[in-house]
Amino acid sequence: MEHVHPLDDIRLEPLLAPFATLAPRVVVTIEDVDGAVLASSGAPDVDAASDGSTHAIDVAGTLVGRVVVRGTSPDAPLLAAAGATLARAIGALLEHVANERHEAAGAAARRIESELAHGRRLQRSFVSLVAPETPGYDIASHYEAAREVGGDFFDLFRLRRRGRPLSVVIADVTGKGIAAALLMAFSRPLLHAAIDHTKGPGEALTRTNLILVEERRSSLFITALVARLDLPTGHLRFANAGHEPPIFVPGDGSPATLVLGSGPLIGAFADLVLPECAVDLRPGDMLVLYTDGVTDARSPSGERFEEGRLFAAIAASRDGSAGDVVQAIAGAVAVFAGRAEPADDITIVAIRRLPLRP
Amino acid sequence: MALETTVEQVDARVPLTVIALVGELDASNFEALIETARQHYEAGTRSLLLDLTDLTFMASSGLVALHSIVRIMHGEAPPDPEAGWSALHATAGAGSQREVQLCAPQPAVERVLARTGLDRLFVVHPDRSSAIAAI
Repeated sequence: MEHVHPLDDIRLEPLLAPFATLAPRVVVTIEDVDGAVLASSGAPDVDAASDGSTHAIDVAGTLVGRVVVRGTSPDAPLLAAAGATLARAIGALLEHVANERHEAAGAAARRIESELAHGRRLQRSFVSLVAPETPGYDIASHYEAAREVGGDFFDLFRLRRRGRPLSVVIADVTGKGIAAALLMAFSRPLLHAAIDHTKGPGEALTRTNLILVEERRSSLFITALVARLDLPTGHLRFANAGHEPPIFVPGDGSPATLVLGSGPLIGAFADLVLPECAVDLRPGDMLVLYTDGVTDARSPSGERFEEGRLFAAIAASRDGSAGDVVQAIAGAVAVFAGRAEPADDITIVAIRRLPLRP
Repeated sequence: MALETTVEQVDARVPLTVIALVGELDASNFEALIETARQHYEAGTRSLLLDLTDLTFMASSGLVALHSIVRIMHGEAPPDPEAGWSALHATAGAGSQREVQLCAPQPAVERVLARTGLDRLFVVHPDRSSAIAAI
């Protein structure tokens, strides 16, 4: 930030005008701490080297400049007193200006902070939800808002159709800040409605893309994965619009794998055609969904969390509950990133089909 | 999280601006990259090669930058989150958009491009010299 001299905060010339009129044979200058003249009462014919008096200008005990009175006058003692008064007046004025500015800045900062806090609360209300009944399944989620308002959301709800399948949505609006948060707030119910009124996940994402592209003309993108789980059979169909691939964790202890299969993200292309993929969750199997706040998390030394650490966190916790797995991942990211608040929103969802009772 | 860019003007078959991206492209700098591309467009660049040899990481906001740069090189209005603009038509695949091309993406960057479908927006060359020869 450019350094501004405190004396630049007020107009100095008018303060010197009375001297120019009343004491033309005296020159009064206002100088900075280095003696540079910032304002002068004029009177160029006055001998600058002649006697005079110097009066410090203090702001809260700090020297910021001087009032210097030069020239000979029968009223010298009076002018010296006037110089001292002027120096004190300037100091008081500067202090007042600084306080006012400080208060204004403080009020603005408090206002912004309260808006952001409100935004974060609003965002949590979009994201956190009452989990639907999912007999035979253990489902856990973790959502952590970034310091700046981010754009993650997820949604779990039972569809109103035969078999009441479970719909799972995890999505991330690219970018941060108010624009991303607003697009997220708009997209979540849109996606929910599209899922309710289409035959499958791919069609729901295609329709959402169409509406966003045609009506919103947004320059932001959304990555989204929509899944439909048939609870009795464990058959899960999904379509992935540019989102991070889910991780399949087999109940038999064999290695976890990425579930690939995705198409373009929402918002980039006018028509979005996505492949529809499927995974079968047998008793004991688990599917882990997450956003890039996990894999892109950055350590203080500049490394990224990436999929390797995600797999390691899952491997260390996969024998526990869905909640254990979610907490293990969230904890590993927090330790890795080494700070109180994440740089980006973090969302993790684990869905485990409970093992059959022996 | 730094991103540096180095620019070279090349006389290929068409005058070509090559911007090499060095470092990480993420939410902290993608807007600056869009701005850099806009300045080159305004200075007359009509053919752009993004050299990704030393781009070690690309977050999803990097995709917004690439998409925006294609729009800019098509002569469209600058990206403004408030105003927005329409998505590219699906026909604007690798065959129909040649104003912006890419070369030498590292595997991590290539994966992000493939996963999000943005790879079909670009002709991707294996390295800088073959890109310049081809353009």
